[in-house]
Amino acid sequence: MGAYVIRRLAWLPVILLIVSFLTFALARFGPGDPISIAAGQIRDPEVLAQVRAQRGLDGSIVEQYGRWLTAAVQGDFGESYTLQSGRSVNELIFPRMWVSAQLGLLALVIVFAVGIPLGLAAARLAGTWVDPAIIGSLLFLQAIPVLVLIPPLVWLFAVQLGLLPVGGWDGVFEVYWIAGVIAVPMPDPHLYIPLIAFTLPGFVGVARLVRISALEVNTLDYVRTARAKGLSESVVQLRHVFPNSLLPLITVVGFALAGIIEGAFFVETLLGINGIGRLTFEAVTSRDYDIILATTVIFSSAFVIANLIAELAYGFVDPRIRLGARRG
Amino acid sequence: MSQNRLLAILLSVLAFLVLVVGGLSAVMLLSGGGGDGGDSAGGGGGGTTTGGGGGGSGNPSQAASGRLRLASGDPITLDPHIAGDALSAEYIVEIFGGLVTIDPDLNVILDLAEEVDVSDDGLVYTFTIREDARFHSGRQVTAEDVQYSIERATSQELSSPTGLAYLGDIVGAREHFFGLADTVEGIEVIDERTIAFTIDAPKPYFLAKMTYPTAFVVDRQEVEDNPRNWTRNPNGTGPYELAEWRLGERIVLRANPDYHLGTPLLEEAVYLLSGGSALTRWENDELDVSPISVNDIERARDPDSDLGQAYEAWPQFTVSYLAFNTRVPPFDDPHVRRAMGMAIDRERIANVTFFGMIQRATGILMPQMPGYVEDDLTLPFDPDAAREELALSPYADDMPVIRITETGAGAEASIDMQAFIEQWRTILGLEVEINQTDFGTFLADQDSGRLQAFSAAWIMDYPDPESILDLKLHSESPLNDVGYESAEFDGFIEAARVEQDPEERMALYGQAQEQAIEDAVWLPLYFGVSHVVVKPEVSGWFEPPIIMPRLRFIEVSR
Repeated sequence: MGAYVIRRLAWLPVILLIVSFLTFALARFGPGDPISIAAGQIRDPEVLAQVRAQRGLDGSIVEQYGRWLTAAVQGDFGESYTLQSGRSVNELIFPRMWVSAQLGLLALVIVFAVGIPLGLAAARLAGTWVDPAIIGSLLFLQAIPVLVLIPPLVWLFAVQLGLLPVGGWDGVFEVYWIAGVIAVPMPDPHLYIPLIAFTLPGFVGVARLVRISALEVNTLDYVRTARAKGLSESVVQLRHVFPNSLLPLITVVGFALAGIIEGAFFVETLLGINGIGRLTFEAVTSRDYDIILATTVIFSSAFVIANLIAELAYGFVDPRIRLGARRG
Repeated sequence: MSQNRLLAILLSVLAFLVLVVGGLSAVMLLSGGGGDGGDSAGGGGGGTTTGGGGGGSGNPSQAASGRLRLASGDPITLDPHIAGDALSAEYIVEIFGGLVTIDPDLNVILDLAEEVDVSDDGLVYTFTIREDARFHSGRQVTAEDVQYSIERATSQELSSPTGLAYLGDIVGAREHFFGLADTVEGIEVIDERTIAFTIDAPKPYFLAKMTYPTAFVVDRQEVEDNPRNWTRNPNGTGPYELAEWRLGERIVLRANPDYHLGTPLLEEAVYLLSGGSALTRWENDELDVSPISVNDIERARDPDSDLGQAYEAWPQFTVSYLAFNTRVPPFDDPHVRRAMGMAIDRERIANVTFFGMIQRATGILMPQMPGYVEDDLTLPFDPDAAREELALSPYADDMPVIRITETGAGAEASIDMQAFIEQWRTILGLEVEINQTDFGTFLADQDSGRLQAFSAAWIMDYPDPESILDLKLHSESPLNDVGYESAEFDGFIEAARVEQDPEERMALYGQAQEQAIEDAVWLPLYFGVSHVVVKPEVSGWFEPPIIMPRLRFIEVSR
């Protein structure tokens, strides 16, 4: 298996090289450049030519890419030009990614925590009206686009009830002081609306996967054996059906983790949360080349690695799946 | 069995997290419900500073007070010498300063200088620096600081995209920028507090250009010690100091008590850089000022609504216009341009489509601008005259495809453009296509001069007609993107460049403006207006027509 992992990882640089070059070329082949955007209204072509040269934006695409690559392999992803002039890309990207990751992780936990029990319940009660009711209502939630979902949430909780702030981000916890001595960390009120918007559409995916899987496990031989041994139904469900029906979720978790660091453009934009999704979009519209490149490279790496982890985890929990085993 | 145990552990971790989050949410919501009545008090209690609302006694104290909460974004840079965008400039003008500045009545006034002497030929400007002009660090501002700053702003090393645009009139600045000279020849330090600038021609608008951030003074020591990151804690000379900047979260500006033009009234301005709709947050009492968009304008205008009492409208120095490329058919024929201009009813569109949020332009120069004339100079809406005008054109029977470019996301044309298209179709029988591109692409196309016609806007950088008429329409200006070449127009502009008598000068710009409108290279559409709601605790709020230091004039009684 070690050889398998190494082989897979060896592909990573090749993939990143291709992805980064394509992104690099696409950004530069498109019309418009960061210098004329940054120059404002008064743009003198001679002046801009010198500014471009000074910023390393002259020469052929291959030359420019070469310069970028040389710096990038040394960990320097360049600096922002049009969004945050002079700040290094690393400094801009990682804090924003951390914001998106915190939100995304919390949302993931909630999605699983709600989706799994609902899926199991639906499977258990398959054939009654409860099963389609659960799945149906979750599907309904999934069908509401976040663009439609967020404004009524803001209107209700922030404007009408005044319970929550309208948007923004202020960390995961807010510390309340009891009598000025005891610190009680509480979830920050800024969390609720984005979390609702993130999670509501996500429940159904997990619930349906768990439901199908549980239904299938219920028909398997070892479950029948367990029942035949005379175990009570609750023990059968808890010890045999439940854990085994969660296996397919591992693949889902892998990809969801990759999605987390990419942030969510709509939620972040509508609620004014400074996450990575919003930064990426802003970087594209203002031609902030180095940020576009860095985010693309990081997202691609995350995707490849998450894929690999999911495969490995699968093999780990289910020994029947042996990675890299030669088939005769 | 081992995989079962693993999953069991995973699940119990999940369950635990759910319980924690759920429990805390319940407590939060309950406590939130309990504190319903004292909503604003609860918000204030969370902070570390104790209530700033005390001390409101009868005698006016000299110290700054109050805290203003605004919605804004991260500035692209706080380096005055490279900033080219309005957002950055808004912060920069509060933190830094130059020899001259603009007051709320749009006069160019002295800032770090206490005196300026202009030579008789209008070529040499000699400034005496105030004795009490100091950086935030307390160090006195010297003539060498000014020299260093101007030379930095025009240096090849910095290669600022904006430096030459504002300082290029100084003799030798261009050579310095392109690396042909180590210093700027036209700057002379006479003594510690006296500095003289020689400019390349008598340009009465030179002082107005010096109010722009590229001419601001920076602390050499600070810049050289930390050339990459010095703007994170900048040592300026302005009325406010940068007290805090958390990227994407907030910026706090705090009053500089020793400010040489007088202690600011407002102690602290907090710019909240993230968060959702500004108006919703304003209604939720999270902000003191919020812009009003077209969706809320009717509610804001209704004096009985919750916004009505707080609503204010402020004219801006921006003009939006349709530009015709006079080198490209059919716009090489003035009849076509004039016909299209007379076939659009801007008044109705401004009032109906935009609910009167913008003002129909009456010329290129907006009210309050020097050189503005009250008469409506623009082509009137006159369908019959428009048809007659078009009939005079050789293109009347064989009209090339007309394509107007605007910035946008490509969904549909902007609402006023849709109305124009309809009017051109019904009145003139012209089919006009709209091309939408994103901003970066638009700039590239505009600079290349290959756009046939486009919709754009111009924001004045300093209150002088030179900064629009000369820059955008003189035949030799690199910014003339419509190929306008008129000997009469150029004549007025060139005479105005060197005319020392202010009234004569404005008269020349007036004639130039009339000529450009007569030739219909630009169809001025609207003048911008800024619409805001302001909390009653804030007094003295104003939206200046161009960017200028304003925080120090504002008071917040809270």
